[in-house]
Amino acid sequence: MKYHILIGGKAGQGINKISSFISKLFSEKGYYIFNYRDYQSLIRGGHNFNIICVSEGKISSCEKKIDFLVCLDERTKEIHKEDLKKNAVILEAKEFENLKIDVNIALSIKLGKIFSFEKKDFLKIAEKEFPNKKDLISDLYDKIETKEKLPLKKLNKNIELIDGSKSVAKGSIESGLNFYLGYPMTPSTSLLNYFKEYEKENSLRVLQPESEISVINTALGISFSGNLVMVGTSGGGFDLMTEGLSFAGQSEIPLVIYLASRPGPSTGVPTYTSQGDLNLALFSGHGEFPRIVLSPGYPEQAIKKINESFFLAEKFRVPVIFLTEKNFAESLFSLEKFPKLKKIKIEREIPGEQIVKNSSYEHLSNGETTENEEQIKENNKKRIKKEKEILEEIEKMSPIEIFGKKDSKNLIFCFGSTVNVIKDILTYEKIDAKVVQIIYLKPFSKKIKEEIKKSKNIFIVEQNVTSQLSRLIKENTLYEIPEKNRILKYNGRPFFYDELKEELKKRIK
Amino acid sequence: MTKDISTKSQITWCPGCPNFLILEAVKRVINELIKEGNKQEDFCIVTDIGCNSKIYDYLNLSGVYGLHGRAVPLAEGIKIGNPKLKVLAFQGDGGAYAEGIEHLIHAIRKNTDISLIIHNNEAFSLTTGQPTPTTPFGKKIKNEEIKLEPLNPIKLALSLNAKFVARCNPYDIEDTKRIIKKSILFKGFSFVEIIQKCLIFSPEMSIFEKNFYKIEDNKRLENAWEIANQWNYSSTEQKIPIGIIYEKN
Repeated sequence: MKYHILIGGKAGQGINKISSFISKLFSEKGYYIFNYRDYQSLIRGGHNFNIICVSEGKISSCEKKIDFLVCLDERTKEIHKEDLKKNAVILEAKEFENLKIDVNIALSIKLGKIFSFEKKDFLKIAEKEFPNKKDLISDLYDKIETKEKLPLKKLNKNIELIDGSKSVAKGSIESGLNFYLGYPMTPSTSLLNYFKEYEKENSLRVLQPESEISVINTALGISFSGNLVMVGTSGGGFDLMTEGLSFAGQSEIPLVIYLASRPGPSTGVPTYTSQGDLNLALFSGHGEFPRIVLSPGYPEQAIKKINESFFLAEKFRVPVIFLTEKNFAESLFSLEKFPKLKKIKIEREIPGEQIVKNSSYEHLSNGETTENEEQIKENNKKRIKKEKEILEEIEKMSPIEIFGKKDSKNLIFCFGSTVNVIKDILTYEKIDAKVVQIIYLKPFSKKIKEEIKKSKNIFIVEQNVTSQLSRLIKENTLYEIPEKNRILKYNGRPFFYDELKEELKKRIK
Repeated sequence: MTKDISTKSQITWCPGCPNFLILEAVKRVINELIKEGNKQEDFCIVTDIGCNSKIYDYLNLSGVYGLHGRAVPLAEGIKIGNPKLKVLAFQGDGGAYAEGIEHLIHAIRKNTDISLIIHNNEAFSLTTGQPTPTTPFGKKIKNEEIKLEPLNPIKLALSLNAKFVARCNPYDIEDTKRIIKKSILFKGFSFVEIIQKCLIFSPEMSIFEKNFYKIEDNKRLENAWEIANQWNYSSTEQKIPIGIIYEKN
């Protein structure tokens, strides 16, 4: 069983709220959920929608074609009529007009009744989601009639719904994070909000300084004085941080930077998705210094990888850029098991106990400034040598992940959350291919070249216009992915299952 | 016994630079505080970019040599991350009043317990004498006259409800020591400005020195405003008050 439910309406009508309500109804019964959020950069009005994919099998992507259209306003029906599958069911707000703001609850009950949910199922979820609407829910459940009835199973799965941002927040706290600093910017803001929510119950402090410039400089001060620190931002905010990034490179003060992408250039399209910031993560900052760039695909992996990020930042004293996109940060995924993590300890010298000096200038081993030619040369060599050591370390940490038909000669490369839709297609469709998700983008694993050698036809799927990952692969392996094998999408929307399936079927015979 | 907290780094300030006097004042402060029971490891200095910031290399104390204009957030971070440290930040007028003024404004609001010491020589010296926000009106730089009124940082600080505002004369080492020490002991953000000439790029500031006069430590806000208004950072005639302009009880 696999259904797609689209819930649409105006901003302020509680679309996202009701989408997670419905998602939870299903996940409580053991169904897998993927919930995609499509919203505009406005506070009230406009047209926002979520697409929820409900499935008996694992899923972390959705289709464009839908089975159920839940319309909180009339425009939703108009806009999405092209997306309806044959026999699609449309639920409209008209019949519940007298409920005003609670029309979203009424529609979700109607939808839930179609799927044969019982009253107690609703009330259980409402306990957390709508504690003061329980009477209304109970009342509406008795009144609302539905013609269609679909059988509902109780699947034996323990599923937690989690969006990408929340997984990073939880993984960071489990790793021992002491401080998070951020300046609000979509799509990194949700991470700031989660940390703020978790601040009280954990030994964590969350700061929102006056600008991203202040964010990174304050964070480096906090890290210097002996703490595990992360900052978070998106495109333009990251640009402002890059002087500080280079400072981290020179001073060797450890720092993890969370970078959530949205379509640029400049302000671009704030609430949509993109993978156009790979080059930014790889090349930002002046001068030459080692860094680590990695990009997770889905919550379970993100939790493990954020833990590794803190470990690597402390071990090698380099900046680590944790690159994600809006599609990862704000989509709701199904998590079956929260990975076990090791707390990261700070083992470097810290001020207060010793005299410690770190500098933005080229410096001697005691931290004092130098202009000596031999010393400058030695320092450069010492810094760049770390890249080799980091590579050795990450080779042990699954720098890539492979899904699909492992012995196939057809290879698809991707990074970030794009892996999810490809993995889903290769799981459920008859396509002879495997997908290699490059998790560590810098340093670049030697395993990637081996994968290229083993393959005959190589494809790439990514969400940018210049195929930045192709360029990176070429730089590191001398293999150029032919243009005809590049599937690129750059309209702010993620790849949809049905759309990408057709593309892959066309190219992989 | 006085503890030697100097380093082996060669001092690269110009001979006769008032920075030597400030360095001496800071050393005396740290020594006094060590005698009073603090450890050398309890202090942390944060510097910006510019001649003033070279003090990082000359003091054997923990510290970070930061970026131009960014000493303040860096210092705030160190204090927040390890509240036991006594944190001193050094900036020039370029870093504090031009590149990093946003941080100064917010640092006063946030009132993090750090001492900010601003070496104001009314010029970008290390980059060969360009004007800063406190360069006097009418000063000629390479035949071009400055046509902007200087910023009055004392008034800016008071307008933001700064709780410790002081001005120092570097030639009075003992008084500078006394003020910096008080700023360290003050619980909250303290703003200390040192009016110093650059022998090469603002030697005309010598003329201000005759106008320096010491004031009594002041705790009354209305007096603070009156003191702040006495000198406009350009005038060669107005009296220049030196001392603790405002300390909130």
